[in-house]
Amino acid sequence: MSRAANDLGSAGLEVEYADMSGCEIAASDIVKLTHDKLSTEEVSASVVCPSCGAVSLFIGITRNSFEGKKVVELEYEAYIPMAQSEMKKICLDVRQKWPSVKHISIHHRLGVVPVAEASVIIAISSPHRSESLEAVKYCIDTLKATVPIWKKEIYETEDYSWKENKECRWAESRQK
Amino acid sequence: LVQVLVLYFAKSAELAEVRSENITVPHQVTSLQLWEELVRKHPRLAAIRDQVVLAVHQEYVSLGDELLILHPGDEVAVIPPLSGG
Repeated sequence: MSRAANDLGSAGLEVEYADMSGCEIAASDIVKLTHDKLSTEEVSASVVCPSCGAVSLFIGITRNSFEGKKVVELEYEAYIPMAQSEMKKICLDVRQKWPSVKHISIHHRLGVVPVAEASVIIAISSPHRSESLEAVKYCIDTLKATVPIWKKEIYETEDYSWKENKECRWAESRQK
Repeated sequence: LVQVLVLYFAKSAELAEVRSENITVPHQVTSLQLWEELVRKHPRLAAIRDQVVLAVHQEYVSLGDELLILHPGDEVAVIPPLSGG
């Protein structure tokens, strides 16, 4: 299958941290952009750790309608190297705000994502639940504001629109 | 003058009708001047003037007086409002 020159197919970055907690496995950040269907099982398994009592998960799913219009599919594109670096920055922020967080895994799908399929899955593990629950919310909120990924909503009528996250500082809904 | 690579994404790629191109600009230029050069080449880009930022060296830069120091082969991206997640 041929792909455009700036298409990475599946691009992953893994960063490991020196672990201060005495636990055997070093904390890691996994950031992945892929055209493949996302797997909740794979993302959650990537953050499981015996010392962690909690794994919190967020799954973003293509909805079937927007303002009464029937959505057929979403199509995502990304400025891939910058999307990876911005997602890594989010991981660093998470670790500053919630130092007990163990592993972070962010997977975002690119290309066509049919209705009812996942476009993004975030999983975070921590010893206790409140940190990973809060960190997952922070991750998705910040991703929507800062990561250079765009989606086109394609309607049943074959018309489409480029969506704008309200979290994005330069979106139209934020202009005075 | 230096040659830099401009990348267009999402709506901006549709308006410019191109995904990437090389342009020649002064080594030091404001973000607004850089944007104006892109609009000169692709006038339809003017439609998104109020909802766009640039990414230079993979950092977001608003359109304005911020002075950019560009080197040959640098990448500048046109960034419409984000919609990841």
